[in-house]
This record gives sequence, C-alpha cells and structure tokens, in this order.
Amino acid sequence: MNDMTVPKIPISPVLAPVDFPQAAAPAAPADSRVAFAAGRPAFRRLVLRGAFLELVTAGFYRFWLATDMRRHLWSHTTVEGDAPEYVGTAKQLLVGFLFAVAILVPINGGYFWLGLEAERVQAFASVPLGLFYYVFLQFAIYRSRRFRMTRTVWRGVRFSMTGSGLNYAWRVGLWSLLVFISLGFALPWRQAALERFKMRYTSYGNLQGGFEGTGSGLFKQGWWLWLVCWGLVALPVLAIVLSTGFEKLAAVLMLAFCVQVLLAPFIYARYKSIEWRWWASGIRFGDVRFSSDLRPGAFVGLYWKVIGWSCLLFLGLTIWMSATFGIGFSLVGGAGTVEQKMLMLSQHWGLMAAVAVGYVAFVLAFWAVMRIYLIHDVWQRVAQSVTVHNLAAASEVAAQQGELAGAIGEGLADSLDVVGF
Amino acid sequence: MTIQSEATTTSAPPVFGEAVYFDGRSNRKRKVALRLEAALEIFEQGLHVGAWPYGEVRSVHGRPGTMRLRCTKALPLARLEISEPAVQQAVAALCPALEAAGQGRVKTGKIVFWSLAAVCSIVGLSWFGIPFAADRLAPYVPFAFEKRMGDAVDGQVRRLFGGKECDSGPGHAAFLVLVNKLKDAGGLELPFQAHVMSSGMPNAFALPGGRIYLLEGLLQRARSPDELAGILAHELGHVQHRDGMRRLIQTGGTSFLFGLLFGDVTGAGAVIFVSRSMLDASYSRDAERNADAFAVGVMHKLGRSPTPSGELLFRITGAQTDKSLTILSSHPLTEERLAEMKKADRAATGPELLSAAQWAELKGICKWQAPNLRFDTLPGRTQSPQPKWPSPGPGVNPGQGRGD
Repeated sequence: MNDMTVPKIPISPVLAPVDFPQAAAPAAPADSRVAFAAGRPAFRRLVLRGAFLELVTAGFYRFWLATDMRRHLWSHTTVEGDAPEYVGTAKQLLVGFLFAVAILVPINGGYFWLGLEAERVQAFASVPLGLFYYVFLQFAIYRSRRFRMTRTVWRGVRFSMTGSGLNYAWRVGLWSLLVFISLGFALPWRQAALERFKMRYTSYGNLQGGFEGTGSGLFKQGWWLWLVCWGLVALPVLAIVLSTGFEKLAAVLMLAFCVQVLLAPFIYARYKSIEWRWWASGIRFGDVRFSSDLRPGAFVGLYWKVIGWSCLLFLGLTIWMSATFGIGFSLVGGAGTVEQKMLMLSQHWGLMAAVAVGYVAFVLAFWAVMRIYLIHDVWQRVAQSVTVHNLAAASEVAAQQGELAGAIGEGLADSLDVVGF
Repeated sequence: MTIQSEATTTSAPPVFGEAVYFDGRSNRKRKVALRLEAALEIFEQGLHVGAWPYGEVRSVHGRPGTMRLRCTKALPLARLEISEPAVQQAVAALCPALEAAGQGRVKTGKIVFWSLAAVCSIVGLSWFGIPFAADRLAPYVPFAFEKRMGDAVDGQVRRLFGGKECDSGPGHAAFLVLVNKLKDAGGLELPFQAHVMSSGMPNAFALPGGRIYLLEGLLQRARSPDELAGILAHELGHVQHRDGMRRLIQTGGTSFLFGLLFGDVTGAGAVIFVSRSMLDASYSRDAERNADAFAVGVMHKLGRSPTPSGELLFRITGAQTDKSLTILSSHPLTEERLAEMKKADRAATGPELLSAAQWAELKGICKWQAPNLRFDTLPGRTQSPQPKWPSPGPGVNPGQGRGD
C-alpha cells in the first residue's frame, strides 16, 4: 500500500488539538515555590532613611515607614510570578492611631488610678491590671492582623478576615494561663488552637482559610527543646545542690549563667524556625496547601548578628556618654566636689541635649538593625522556604465584598508597642 | 459584534504591547494586548475589555521591574501589569499623573512639616494647656483624695530621708505653737499635719494632703524664729494653694501626653525626660512665687519681717549666679527671691513668735528623750533632761541590776 495519504490514526477526542478561542495557557504546575526578589540594599536604605526621618519628625514618620516597609516586602514576594500588593496607606494608620489614643486615654487614666488604689491596699495588687493589659494587647494584635489582611491583594482579589478580637483575646488569656501552669508544656497546643481560630475567619476572596497544623505535630518536632530549656534553667539549681565549697559555688554559678546566655539565642532560633515551618505547612486556602522546608538553623546567624550589632551600638553609646560627660566636666571647672559638679552639670541644658541626642540616635540605629535582620531577613528566609501546592484550585477566585477593617487595631498595637511585620 | 471588532482590528494600528490584566472581580490572570490610542485600550483575544483614560492612570507598587497600574475610573482593584521596558516608557510618557498624590502618596517634606507642627502644638498644649487645666481642676479634687495620695507617698518619703520623727517633748510643743500661729495668721482652711524629721539635710517641703516636713538640718541652721517661720509659712502656702495636687496633675498630664504620643518607637524617653523636667520646673517656679507671696502676707499679719527667712535660704543654697541653670532648677533664683523679700521688709510690729526658752527647746527637739517619770527631776534643774538613774550612791557597780 503505497498511498501518500497520512494514515488516519484514531485519536481520542480528548487528545485531539482543539482550536480554543483563547490561546491555551500552559497548565499551572502543581507545585510552585514562593520567590523573594533581591532588594536588600534598597530595604536597608529605606530603613535608614526612615530612622533619620523618625528622628526629625519626633516619631510621626513611623506610619509612612511601616507602610513603605510593607510595600517593599509584599511586592518582592512572588507566588507563581505574581506579587501581592499592599494597598494600605499611612494615613489609615495615622487615623487608627488617633482613635487608639482616644481609647487609651481613659483606660490609662483608669489604670493609673486603680493602680494607685490597689497599691495602697496591697503591694502586688497591680499585677491583675498588668494581666488585663496583656489580654487587651491580644485584642489589638487580632485587629491589626485584620487590617493587614484586608489590605493585601493578590491577583486583584483581596484577603479578608472576620471574627471578633474580643473572642481571640480571652482565648489567648486562657491558653496562656494553661501554658504558664504547665511550665510551657502546653505551648504547642496553644499555638495550634490560636492559629486555627485565626485562619477560620480568614479567607482569600471566596476561598475559605484553614489551619491543619496540630499541637502534637509541633510538639513532636520540638519537645527536646523544651527539655533543653528547663535543663538550662535547672543548671544553677543543680550547681547549688552539688557544690561543695562557697567559692566553687560562685564560679560554677557564673559558668552556668554564661552557658545559659550563650545557648539562649541558639535555642530560640531553633524554636522559631520549627514554629515557622510548622505554621507555613499548616495554612490552607480552599484546596491550596503550603509546605515549608525551612532549615532548623536558618535564624541562628541572624540572631547573632543582631546581638553583635547591639553590642557595637551600645559600645558607641557608652563612648558618646563618656565623651559628653568628660567634656562637660572639663568645661564646668570651678571648685566643688564631684557630686556638686555632677548635679550642676546634669541640669545644664547643653548636656541634657547631648545625652538625649546620643540616646535617641542609639535607639533609632538599634531599631534599624532590628528591622533589617528580624523583619526583612526573617521574611525572606521564610518566604523562600515555602512551596505552594495545588495553586490551580485558586485560579478562579471571586472577589469577596467584605468590609475593609479600620486601623484601630494597628493604632492600639502601635501605642502599646507591639512589633510585627 | 464580531464583524465590527474584526473591522476595527484590521484597520487599527498594530498591537503595541502585551500586559497582564486583573479585572478586580476575580483573580483570573488575563493576558491582554495594549493599544495606546486616545486612551489606554485593553484587548483580550481581540475583544475590547476596557479603556483607561491617560489622565486617570496611576502607578502602584509592584514587583521590581514590573509596572503596575490602576485606574481611578475602573474598579478599585483592577490592575494592569507591564513587564516590557519599552511599553513602560511609552505609557509613562503618555500618562501625566502617574505618580500623582492620593492613595497614600505624600511628599516627605509635607510629612516633616506637619509632624513638626504637631510637635509644636503638643508642646504648646503642655506648656499652657496643662497648667491651666491643673489650675482649674486642682480645687475640685476632693481633699480626701489628695490626702490619700500623700499617705501613699508618706512612707516612702520617710524612708528616703531616713531618720525618725521628732514628735514629743517641749520642743514639739514649741513647734506646734509656732505652726498654729502661722496657720491662724494665714487663715488656713485645710487640715494639715506638721512633722519634724531628724535628717541632717537643710530642707523643708510639703507633700500632697497637707503634710509638711521640716528637716532638722534646716532647723539647726536657723538663727531666729523669724527665719524658720517664713519658711514654714511658705510651705503652708503650698498646702493652701493645693500645689501638691496641681503638680500631680501637671506631671501626670505631661508625661502621659508625651509618652503616649511619641510612643517608644524613637526611644524618645530621653526627650520626654528633658521636656518634662523643663516644663515641671517652670510650673513649680510659679507655685514657689505664689507660696512666697503667701508667706510674706502671713509674716506681715503677724507683724514680723519676712526678710530673715530669705537670708536663711541664701545661706543654705549659696548665691546662684549661674543664670543658665534657672530654667531647670526647681526654685527661682535665690537672689531674686531675696530681693523680693527685702522689698517686703518691715520693722517688727508684733511680738516675738517664740520666746527664747521655746526657741531653745525647739532647737533641741530631736535630742529630747522622755524622762522616766518615776524619778521626777528637781524643779529649776537646768541641765538637759537626760534620763538618769539616780545614783544610789558611790561604790555601786553600775553594771549590776537594780535588784528590785
């Protein structure tokens, strides 16, 4: 059969090339890794410039700086080629802050008066008030998370978060009490319960969020850390029990203390990396899953760098203070004891101004270090370790018409000095 | 419809560039073609999807290297993302208001200006508003509340200055005589308690709630009752004017205001401390001046001169000629107050406030100890009333017990 016709091979209809009106988009890969675009020098410049402006504006610039930092971090993270967008503005944060001030003024006043009355009755009666503040802070944290969620947009659809901050706050209170009573043993279950609560009320468009990490899962990964922690705490106690002489005891105690201080960053870094990995692996949005392969030692380098920088900055501050006082002493001259000179000097406006400038510069530099290492670098490491599975399930998500959360939570968290992304 | 679009596609200029489009209703990623005509025209698969007027196009933060655009006339979350540099440049050239203000874009200079304005207004509020509020509020705070505050601080103050209270004996009686004369002359309505503490520091002060403390160091340096009386009258003035309460409201208000507004982000704790102490000093200078005026009034009413107490102050604090310290020191220039008191000098028209005997007893208030009343002292005995076991006679070993 020497015909030139192409043999008609029976082709299943599914495989036959069909002329779709739309150019067939390449099938989305089942797994895609989250990417974080390089941009550390730009972030560093942003943070340093922000620190200087904070100094000049007596701290008011922090709202613009927070917004710029979030914009940078959000836009440098890409999932399957698309970066989320932070649509919040600094003005919203400022308004939220003003609301928070209005709320906190009577609360602070009441706290002050109650504290005064309580102290007269009994010395430690102000402790319950501190606990109240802790729970109130959790409310602020929940509300500020809600603000950030509703201001995050990916591929044109906004995240949303409902739920009550008060519900969250008392839950945190009870779980924290349990953790305290159990000497830290219940921590994994606390984290799991709270994440489940938060993700239950979080959604991406019409994709419901969820959390599938379990307390026992986290416990299995990190129980030995808990033992190590308590072992370190028990070291001085052990030393006291086993020691023979008094001089040896002092030396052993010093040694135990040094060991504690040196090992603490390692332990904390290890715990944080385990927690982040467990958290990222438990997040769900509809059928979309995440997983993380964060190395256990990912944060150790970061924490030691922060410690190193802090020591350097503190050294700088000490040199500045000594120089200021030294110059002041030599200028004061005249007779008088050291104490009298000190008294006169410390009341001089010039010295106070120099001390204030040095102190504020130190704090701003310290904050810049924290932001670069503990916000940017942590975010980068965590983001680059995450893989998104089954992203195809999120390819046709409709926008949810939820309401935008106000920034009161952000304002409260800012006034109560909560640090976050 | 199809024919018309085909007609437009054949006669239109060639497609300019490609972009990614999100319509703001769902998260479907759509590949579109852009045509830069009268407006930014968006085509998906030949179908006209949208047109964005150039004047309404704004850029938002996107991935580095990608230009992300939104349109104020489109849905709020509709986005166009352009990756090709040539297209980006063309769009940027055509859109006049790409980086326009709005949606969170404020010039840094404006932020700095308004922040400094806010700082000035806060400082102004603290400088004028808080003293004013304190002046208005202090009289309305019930005295019982102020007394409770004073009680709370009392224990700490006693520990701070150490020493014990000297509250018995003829010295104490003389002290009360003096204080009551001053109280009657000043017309003091509020209850107060006066204490003498055996600390060596030369100071006298008033706490909220009507507690006045006189420290022994000041008592020893005084050379006449007039000198002491003026200072005690000054402290009574503080009680009368509710300065303790006023100062509490002022200090509390200022540190609260500064602390809350500046937060801890900048570590402006140092700034707060400096500003607080500067402002506090200026408040108390006014309070001190008013208390001085009260003291002058009291002394005049008693027919004595207030100048000696100024001299006592001068002796203690020394001449403070360094004017640069005044804004931070909590007392006005001693020379200034001395000058004021010299102006108020008057010849003595009233009797001595304390007799010589009373004055001597007052001076010894902290050395006096209660005598054992089983063995009363002989009348007319002038030696200091130290308790002495009457010696049973020579030859008895003092170390032995009495054997009763």
